[in-house]
Amino acid sequence: MNRAGGETDRRRRFGRLCESLRPDLLRFAWWLGRDRGLAEDVVQESLLRAWKSFDSLEDEGKARSWLLTIVRRELARSFEKKRPELTDVDALVAAESAVLAAPGDERVEEMRAAIFRLEEEYREPLVLQVLLGYSTKEIADLMGMQQGAVLTRLFRARARLRQQMGLAAEPEP
Amino acid sequence: MIDCLEFRRRAGAEPFTADTDVAAHRQGCPACARHQDELRAMDGVIRQALAVDPARPATPTEVTAGATRRRFFAIAASLVAGAAVGVVLLVGAPRASIAREVIGHVEHEPGAMDATAPLAPAALAEALQPDGARLHPGAGDVTFAARCIFDGHVVPHLVVQTPQGPVTVLMLRHRTLDEPLHLSESGYEGVVLPAPRGSIAIVGEGIADIDGVARTVFESVDWGS
Repeated sequence: MNRAGGETDRRRRFGRLCESLRPDLLRFAWWLGRDRGLAEDVVQESLLRAWKSFDSLEDEGKARSWLLTIVRRELARSFEKKRPELTDVDALVAAESAVLAAPGDERVEEMRAAIFRLEEEYREPLVLQVLLGYSTKEIADLMGMQQGAVLTRLFRARARLRQQMGLAAEPEP
Repeated sequence: MIDCLEFRRRAGAEPFTADTDVAAHRQGCPACARHQDELRAMDGVIRQALAVDPARPATPTEVTAGATRRRFFAIAASLVAGAAVGVVLLVGAPRASIAREVIGHVEHEPGAMDATAPLAPAALAEALQPDGARLHPGAGDVTFAARCIFDGHVVPHLVVQTPQGPVTVLMLRHRTLDEPLHLSESGYEGVVLPAPRGSIAIVGEGIADIDGVARTVFESVDWGS
């Protein structure tokens, strides 16, 4: 393949990856950033960064994890720049009410609000596990943590959600 | 054999775990089995709750607010065929923004205009089908077709050889307009027309009657059901 053809192929492959993975990236960024505008900006910036270093991706089968890592870094950069010291969760809920009110029965909406209010350290592994289907090992790799720490966070995330949903946090054996 | 506390720790972190210790404990402990079933049911609700769509179209108010609040730039990058990555300043009102974005995208894809051979129908279909659209003959030969990232969305990008010269066509399902918007910048002339699904931008260089060309292109598009 000549140089121009190779470049076209490269762009085509990257475009396909973007098209298929962007919805997941956007959901992930939204659940972490809890702001639709921020999520869109972060994903856009992340795709630009990804494009610039696309050649470093050796296995396209790992593209989703690679892109999620870039999105995480980009989110962290955004937070460093402009995250307020204290986050008013009620204001976030109000601002994102359109997304939070996505179709679903009352129970689902209640759960959505409960997840939205979870601390980030619990929300992120839960999103990676339940929404994106990652194993605890994969989550640990992605978040740069020990697998045991991920398991603890996932346990606590569900315990908090059970509590918020009015279920017993720790039923008797 | 793990005890109930350990079972609940593991199941609480991974309700669907295939851990053999967890499975063995479950067999002999109905209370823990019920607890795990509850956790699994809750995960179903969590999964539904997480499946939001933050990419839904913004209302006009949100677009206006967003343009002034958060974005001073947008990436006008073609990542599919023939594009470099570019950054376009977005200043001013949304109408001005879309003009700059369209021109910016065209400027960053100079190679797209170079092709002169008509594309195979399959290549054109590949670019249009995800949007459910088709292009009827009449506007001219299509010499370039790709799906590009524009304003954070993947959109069809075509180059059509009209009798007045090649024009770039961007089908912007995510951008709605109330009325046609004319573009004239950096030697480009163009128009963005409200369409049954979003809008369509038609841009060219040295086109004497861009409105006529745009109308012909517009009428050649089947927007699908």
